[in-house]
Amino acid sequence: MNENSSIARKGRIRLFGRVYKTNEVIVGILFILPTLAFLIFTFIIPVVDVIRLSFTNFNMSTGVMKNIGTDNYKYLLNSEDFWHSMWNTVKYSFLKLTLDTGLALFLAVQLDKNVRLKRFLRSTFFAPVVVPMVASSLIWIWFYDPTVGPFNQILQFFGLPASKWLYHESTALISILLFSLWKGVGYNIILFLSGMQNISDSYVEAARLDGASEWQLFWKIKFPLLRPITSFVIMMGIINSFKVFAEINVMTPDGGPLGSTKLIVSYIYELAFSNGRMGRASACALLLFVVIFVLTQIQSLVNAKKSIDVE
Amino acid sequence: MKKAKIGNQNRHNLAFSFLLICAVIMLFPFVWMILSAFKTSVDVYAYPPRWIPSRWSWDNFSRVFEMIPFLRYYLNSTLTSVIQTALQIVISILGAYSLVHLRWPGQRFMATVMRSSMFVPMVVTMIPMYLLIASLGLLDSYAGIILPQINTAFTTFLLMSYFSSIPKDMIDAAQLDGCGPFGVMMRVVIPNTKGAIATATLFSFLGNWKSYTWPLIATTKEEYRTLPIGLRYLMQESSSEYQVMMAASVMTILPVLILFIFFEKQLVRSITLTGMKT
Amino acid sequence: MKKLTMAKILTALLLTATLTAGCVGNYAKQETTTAPAPATTQAPATTQAPATTPAQPAGETTKAPESTAATLPDLKGTSLEVWYAVSGTSGELFSQMSDSFAKQTGATLNLSYSGGSGDTATKVSAALLTNTQPDVALMYAGPLYTGGQGDYSINELLDKGEGVDKNDIFPGMLSYCTYMGDGVCAVPFGISTQVMYYNKDILKAAGVDMTNPPKTWAEFYTVLGTVMEKGNINNTADFTAFDTNDEAWLFKSMLMQNGCEIVENESGHIKAIFNNEQAVQVADYWHSLVEAGYMAAGEHNNAENKFLSGNLAFVAASSNRITRWNGTTSFELGAIEMPYFTQPSLALGGNVIVILTRDPAKVAAAWQYISYLTNVENNTAFALGTGYLPIHKSALEQEAVKKAIAENEMYGVAFKQLDYTWAYTHFEQMGTMDVQIKSMLTKLEKGRGGSQDLLNKAVETLQKEIDDN
Repeated sequence: MNENSSIARKGRIRLFGRVYKTNEVIVGILFILPTLAFLIFTFIIPVVDVIRLSFTNFNMSTGVMKNIGTDNYKYLLNSEDFWHSMWNTVKYSFLKLTLDTGLALFLAVQLDKNVRLKRFLRSTFFAPVVVPMVASSLIWIWFYDPTVGPFNQILQFFGLPASKWLYHESTALISILLFSLWKGVGYNIILFLSGMQNISDSYVEAARLDGASEWQLFWKIKFPLLRPITSFVIMMGIINSFKVFAEINVMTPDGGPLGSTKLIVSYIYELAFSNGRMGRASACALLLFVVIFVLTQIQSLVNAKKSIDVE
Repeated sequence: MKKAKIGNQNRHNLAFSFLLICAVIMLFPFVWMILSAFKTSVDVYAYPPRWIPSRWSWDNFSRVFEMIPFLRYYLNSTLTSVIQTALQIVISILGAYSLVHLRWPGQRFMATVMRSSMFVPMVVTMIPMYLLIASLGLLDSYAGIILPQINTAFTTFLLMSYFSSIPKDMIDAAQLDGCGPFGVMMRVVIPNTKGAIATATLFSFLGNWKSYTWPLIATTKEEYRTLPIGLRYLMQESSSEYQVMMAASVMTILPVLILFIFFEKQLVRSITLTGMKT
Repeated sequence: MKKLTMAKILTALLLTATLTAGCVGNYAKQETTTAPAPATTQAPATTQAPATTPAQPAGETTKAPESTAATLPDLKGTSLEVWYAVSGTSGELFSQMSDSFAKQTGATLNLSYSGGSGDTATKVSAALLTNTQPDVALMYAGPLYTGGQGDYSINELLDKGEGVDKNDIFPGMLSYCTYMGDGVCAVPFGISTQVMYYNKDILKAAGVDMTNPPKTWAEFYTVLGTVMEKGNINNTADFTAFDTNDEAWLFKSMLMQNGCEIVENESGHIKAIFNNEQAVQVADYWHSLVEAGYMAAGEHNNAENKFLSGNLAFVAASSNRITRWNGTTSFELGAIEMPYFTQPSLALGGNVIVILTRDPAKVAAAWQYISYLTNVENNTAFALGTGYLPIHKSALEQEAVKKAIAENEMYGVAFKQLDYTWAYTHFEQMGTMDVQIKSMLTKLEKGRGGSQDLLNKAVETLQKEIDDN
């Protein structure tokens, strides 16, 4: 399959039991070098430190540090808080991923058509992405205010019962989810939109001539062709929703009502900065690493399998 | 046939209404933000909530300039974001091209390590990163703000997903014309994914534009401080000075938003110019 | 095959990285050396001060006064790096005062806002690990970074009696500046207590005579009942009579008022005791507020908005709200002294100034700077401009203070409370304690357990953290 008959046999190199084109190997490695350099600088060096710290009782404020073996990991795996926040994170990520991706895909498909006010609508959906977190959270905390907030005002206008939003354990996580949908859906819309630009019109026209309905057009043509970008959106969705912190921390500091919005990174933050236990926080971050690693690995396997199906 | 068309039309209208409703919801907070920027403190806390200021006042805007060197911060944010974005995009294009269209040993492993670099929360890497930057003597410098925030993984993966959708025959054709790997990248890959590159550029820019914690930790001198730090300074505790904060936010986002509206067309449509869509 | 070799290459790469990281990440704390003796060469009293007091820039509405009483030394050529964690108007006033010190002494002050209290803690910790710390910092929990690291130079400076007059500082504030009960290792600045604010319009409507305010929590409870009945002037569904925006802070004060000292310091070992009989009584009272519907369950983060929009009658909040809220509310604002159980008592909160440099010359200059900021006149001006509390007993005799009290009774209330302020010593797990108290209170309010059980659990968790060290 790799043997391309149109290109001469010379200029090939055998490395680790496989045949490569010499110039591709040279250029490829040359091109990846800057990436590699930054990877070492921004990821490998800090992470090696994090790994080292995870086996110590390092305390940031006092500077104490001694090796304590795997105690941090044992502590975490036996900690109710750890499992609780992990479970919250899974819940949140699942909801966020399905709602965010679904909504973004739907809106993007609509915006890709020749609708009125197209430019205005696109800008509208994207606008929240630009707002700094401090400002947007202040606005939304206000909206969610059970007493003076506009949301309850609107609910009451329609004769619906008022909600406690961020202040009740049953609604707090959902409230944050709504906020982050508002804030983040524009990202994915733009991604899907630019992905759809890659779909050649000829495919779509051909399908139209075959009498395909809009629905069939989407599922049979557009969606499969969007697969690379969908896969990217889902991968980033998994990573970002498992790592979500800023919006959670500003909207509900201290883990929210009865700890209902304490997600895993909030817990890491609490370990590191409220409790001063950087070592434990590092261990927790590495456990999180493993979880995300496994999930994205599964995702890319599923994706690879599907791509083959399509072909 | 005709019936189907009418049904289609109805569905179209339904979808459009849904779009409009969503758009109104999206805009709702902006309306609130802009109106609040003109309010006085009494208006902010009025009960029942008051949408329209009882007296329009520009005081909050001038207050922002009194309290922080807004323009300087703006300049810094723009400067660091632009440099960071430029670096990140160039590196990512090279990297993504190398990973998608060239074959060399170990590339799959490289991709895995790269993806992994996004899995660790900043909360724990911040301190090791600070130590590293300090040992390099980069505290209080633009380099100290920019370099650690270069997140090539994100943009590289983004570009990879677009690069991989370039038809194989286009690349083969270029190779037959005698293009080497570099030529293929310059003549086929980049021109055909301009829209995608624009998207990646935008996202990379925003990532830096909004970052708060790292620039705060890495800088102490006023001349290197960025906008989000300035915004935080306006906020004393919880809700106080709400109106000033809103005024600052309006001033912060307007230029970016205008830029976006201006480039929006290029952003999502540039690809059509290249002839891939016929 | 290919994978195996790649693994080897990467291992090599990682090893290199580890080595590099190894040089960087030398976290281990240096053996605590004896705190450096502050410079004796630069005794401020002997220096003749060129009392150049340049005029304030025209058109400035600054409240920072030029100190006329104290003569300041010449500090030309000295520069100090200063980080401060106060923002907004407090931040502005702080930098104005610092500027005027710099002008009068010729010293160079590099001021830098270091973010909120959490951000500042991170920034300072990171800086201490790399020796890039500022010379002076105005921050929360400062003693952790001086006394916690064995640095008690401020204690020695205070004992010398030059600059800041130790005997004039409220004793509670001094204990707020200690670490593990040892010597003073910070100077109080930007300190506050909670004050019980109330909405005069609501209390008038409820017909409560506030000229004779409730003194104890029991009396207060009765007032709340009346307010609930007749005070809902906005007619809102979730009107409540009382709340606080910082529940852990108030709860700690209440514990103390009922004779529970929260933590005991047994010769350097901290023991949490807030599950004793007195503590349970306080928790029971707290629960009764929620049960009667006087206080909403778990809405403390919302208390400030609720109060300012006129839907809450009483709110216990930091004294710095006096200045901030004054004249900005749509209703008439009042304040009373905090009710108590058996004895009036209030926990202190807020910031302190610490010296983080070890360079003797800089320590001396920093001490001059701190002495300037905290001299009676300046400190009082800062207090009146921000609603933080003056640290000197003699501040209360200042004309400015008398005038402020006459104009705004709330200052009178806050300053009167100074007589019974108190603080527990700083210890490493303070943050953990607050987290535990907060989560305990939410559970209590939401009926997830009895007072004794919940307190026991919080104390157990905290004690485990303290002992596991």
